[in-house]
Amino acid sequence: MTTAAALWSGKRLRMAAAALIVVNGFFPALWILLTSLKSESELVRKPITWLPHAPTLDNYVHAFTAQPLLHYLGNSLMVASLSTVLSLLVAACAAYAIARLNLRYRQWILTAIVASSMFPLISLLVPIFETMRSLNLLNSYLALVLPYTVLNLPVCTLVLVSFFQSIPKDLENAAMIDGCSRLGALWRVVIPLSAPGVFTAGILAFVNAWDEFLLALSLNASAAMRTAPVGIALYQGEYSFPWPLISAALVITIVPVAVLIALFQERVIGGLTQGGLKG
Amino acid sequence: MLKTLRDPSEKVLAWLLLTPAFLLIALIVIYPVGKLIYNSFFDLRLSGGANLGQFVGWLNYQDVLKDADFWHATQNTLWITLITVPGALLVGLGLALLANLPFQRKWPVRLALLLPWALPLSFCGLIFAWFFNTDYGIVNDVLRRLGQQETTMWLLRPNWAFAAICLTIIWKTSSFMALILLAGLQMIPRSLYEAAEVDGATRWQQFWQITLPLLMPSIVVALIFRTLTALQTFDIPYTMTKGGPGNSTETLAMLIHKTTIDYLDLGYGSTLAVFMFLISMAVTAVYLRRVGQTA
Repeated sequence: MTTAAALWSGKRLRMAAAALIVVNGFFPALWILLTSLKSESELVRKPITWLPHAPTLDNYVHAFTAQPLLHYLGNSLMVASLSTVLSLLVAACAAYAIARLNLRYRQWILTAIVASSMFPLISLLVPIFETMRSLNLLNSYLALVLPYTVLNLPVCTLVLVSFFQSIPKDLENAAMIDGCSRLGALWRVVIPLSAPGVFTAGILAFVNAWDEFLLALSLNASAAMRTAPVGIALYQGEYSFPWPLISAALVITIVPVAVLIALFQERVIGGLTQGGLKG
Repeated sequence: MLKTLRDPSEKVLAWLLLTPAFLLIALIVIYPVGKLIYNSFFDLRLSGGANLGQFVGWLNYQDVLKDADFWHATQNTLWITLITVPGALLVGLGLALLANLPFQRKWPVRLALLLPWALPLSFCGLIFAWFFNTDYGIVNDVLRRLGQQETTMWLLRPNWAFAAICLTIIWKTSSFMALILLAGLQMIPRSLYEAAEVDGATRWQQFWQITLPLLMPSIVVALIFRTLTALQTFDIPYTMTKGGPGNSTETLAMLIHKTTIDYLDLGYGSTLAVFMFLISMAVTAVYLRRVGQTA
């Protein structure tokens, strides 16, 4: 080995590489956390402070009292959960048909489902807006749940197809010999065995729905129906960038998702690269 | 008939199971695409106007081609794509190569790559707008500490605002790029590097002769994916500048949103969206051909 190679595999270099990645990934979230702990007067001091001089939780109290943040979070939770459950149900059915049943053109069908997510959302916005408007669904949960379900269908289907394919067919046949119907075998054998896959697809769907902005902004803009990303982004229009309030609200909204991905990182990465590499 | 319902043959069952997915896609994708094209030939100014609902032929299309705002927004969108896609690839490749080193504890690095992905684009825009704040932002604070005399008015000057938006997009998207490329790196067999080592190849040669060629399929897929989303850029400029100052940082997606949702001009908005659609479909066609080859 050359000296350069020895240095490359050296511990010090690994530490430096890890530090670089960690700082790059965490710094914006860390900075907004520090911002949220500063008082309003400290935030408009020049030159700016890096660490809060007198850390305070006032902004957090304010975030809940000055704006209906809890209500926005409730909306986000409802929309994200409902669309996650619906995506999983629909994707599980489709994935089972593609992975297991005697079906012609299965590759073609899978490609069609994946291709549906390739349509630019912004150009579908106009007709979806019009459809929801004429169905009187603007400013309702359903207006977002239906499109989000379709947005998440490709990734959920891809993840579930590969999980279903990994379950031995014999297990299913045994259940059917014991008197289960095919759907019974799907429900009692295949789905429980692919729980990790269902879970992975569910997390991806939930995070996507929790983060979505354009449709939520366009279809559910009334104050009572805003999701958290839209509600918080619209603070700035109302009081010209109230940073103390925004930073605290951002931290509150980021934490649940951050905890979710921290707990299940390996699965999330597996699902992402699977969905990403193929579709 | 009753028998097929109670004990459906595999084929019937398969199509039954696919029905919900197809119905949803029909409602949210197929029908809207048809409706979009149909709308683009009508005058649909819902905010008022004498000709509401009238067929106008190619008039909207002619107007779009003469619309300076359209060309300006398209130009911005293409610049954002041309800058941020290669930018995110380079940063993402760097992050992936570093993250592929044999760490003892893998979770901090993994979480650091996942966090930017999980952060909503709109939040990313808000946070970076605060970074680039002229008076209280950390970017200007660091520049001042490094000895810069003049204060840069980041989001208040067209070119600086554009640069700030591009940097933000690169930061946000490079982590996902890195995750995809990292998965590709981990699939390259170690034995290839060992053989190269025996033959006396330097690290540099190994990178160009082994890593890059074998990573190419992942790179191409990641690039096409990223190009599609870059063409639809909305959340980050919307939350950072609202398209300003003036309309200097307005993207095509923002123009469509403004025309449709704010001005309620569905006909003209649809026509703009048809142009966006055509651009994206061209990229998708390339992508699907690629998927067809690898499947």
